[in-house]
Amino acid sequence: MAAPTPAPTPAAPRPTPARPSPKEFVAIADLKDIYFDFDKYDIRPGDAKTLDANAAWFKSHADYLALIEGHADERGTNEYNLALGERRAKSAMNYLVSQGVQASRITIISYGEERPQCTEKNEGCWSKNRRAHFLVKPR
Amino acid sequence: MLPLLALVLVLAWLAPWSPPPAPRAQGVEVFLNVTGGGTKKLNIAIPEFALLGGTDSQGTAKLLASVAGKDLTFSGLFSVVAATGSIPPNDAAALKEAWAAFAAAGAHAGVHGLLALRGEQLEVEMRLYDLTSPEHRLIAARKFRGTLAQARRVAHRIADEIVLQFTGEPGVADTKIAYVLGPRGAKELYVADYDGAGAAPVTRNGSINLSPVWSPDARSLAFTSFVQGYPDLYRVFPFERRPLQTLAAFAGINSAPAWSPDGRSLAMTLSKDGNPEIYVLNVATGALRRLTRHAGIDTDPTWSPTGRQIAFVSDRTGAPHVFVMDTDGANVRQLTAGGFQTQARWSPKGDTIVYTQRQAGHQLWAVNPDGSSPRQLTFGPGSAQSASWAPDGRHLAFQSNRLGRSQIFAMLLDGTPPTQVTSGGGEATSPSWSPRLP
Repeated sequence: MAAPTPAPTPAAPRPTPARPSPKEFVAIADLKDIYFDFDKYDIRPGDAKTLDANAAWFKSHADYLALIEGHADERGTNEYNLALGERRAKSAMNYLVSQGVQASRITIISYGEERPQCTEKNEGCWSKNRRAHFLVKPR
Repeated sequence: MLPLLALVLVLAWLAPWSPPPAPRAQGVEVFLNVTGGGTKKLNIAIPEFALLGGTDSQGTAKLLASVAGKDLTFSGLFSVVAATGSIPPNDAAALKEAWAAFAAAGAHAGVHGLLALRGEQLEVEMRLYDLTSPEHRLIAARKFRGTLAQARRVAHRIADEIVLQFTGEPGVADTKIAYVLGPRGAKELYVADYDGAGAAPVTRNGSINLSPVWSPDARSLAFTSFVQGYPDLYRVFPFERRPLQTLAAFAGINSAPAWSPDGRSLAMTLSKDGNPEIYVLNVATGALRRLTRHAGIDTDPTWSPTGRQIAFVSDRTGAPHVFVMDTDGANVRQLTAGGFQTQARWSPKGDTIVYTQRQAGHQLWAVNPDGSSPRQLTFGPGSAQSASWAPDGRHLAFQSNRLGRSQIFAMLLDGTPPTQVTSGGGEATSPSWSPRLP
């Protein structure tokens, strides 16, 4: 049997906006994580204060860019958790923007359930993994 | 690159062995009612293959019978009758005596396998006999060629041919299963035979690679990878020397790929326009079409085999549930309710959608495409999730932690206990069962 001829290489869509590498961002002690209820991505009232402080930091450090990571616990499934983490990062971003941080300074990324902070199988651990995490890099 | 060398199915009759009696021009309908009945199985004898020439230093004659026998058992259609030794070639009296003995032991069919070895080449003939007829009618005879290294694949093709003879549709033994292997933080794609043999890595980028899905031509896998930092969609050709192809790398998530049945389009989840929505990408032109417009999460798309509908998961009514829409995004209707359902996967036969229900961890459920008859498929121990249909629409692969670490399992839909596919170290997740190999 003859070897199959390769199919023509299709033209992949080329997105235009350049994305900064996530590796360029670092976590700093001044910026605290916020946490979410199971399968939720709305900001909990208690976490609004944390976000206010994070927003104030960004407003007083205009020369820094933000990367917000969204994370999920392992109890959903891979693909849904990627979407859930995205929504969590987006909720945090929207809050910062509502507090006056320029949207153009913020990049978001979802890791879904792939980068848990805690790996035990209990609610104490899962609740730590349902989070938005803030990192920065100089412009 | 994995070896996937072409096998030759020889239909013409060739030397060196003498031809079998010509098959009568009658079909095998006698067995169709047996196999169609569900639980009643056909008893088949598949003794060690007879060596026609060469030196069988690797035990290939035994391997062929053993692998094909396991495939037939796995098909759920056959019960393999225990056999020792081989039936000598070119000995009509010995063949008649052997089949009479197997028929007396309850066998309905018998496989006489003949093996010729020449160096690294093997040539195999499979002769399938109806043992319920007094003259032990020859049902089919097929020749296969390959290299010694392809012996398992030859056995799979023999088994698939036997399934074809009795059901009108080939078996699924000559297929592959792709999956994700790793601890968290470094997950690579692997491909193994459907029974777990010959597992080999497809990616080695040290990143997180997720959600592999076979293209309908069984030549490529679409998957999500963080290799460039963000969750983007790529395509890899495991059996060819071709570079990784970027399918979608928009801002936000690029995830949950699902090939259209014709292989021209890929449904996927993108969040580039604000939140996770379902899009369809024309792979050749790069044209992108948005199907969902909703403030919630829309993900996990899966095509109906007609290509006219897409089932997906949405949290638009609160928790995630399974919905169906036309491929233009119209006529959205909800299929499941209550609880938490994700990972909708439409059967290649069209009659069933499986999904993952959060319940004691996760369990697999199925529902009809009209939303009727939701039914539980797995009951533990442990979780079961990430189902992938075999091309016959009768088997599913899935991931389960029932033995501790997550491994890939395969099962029939009828409740037969699952068989384990992967057994190595690490966590094996997210199986994708390939179409039948070309």
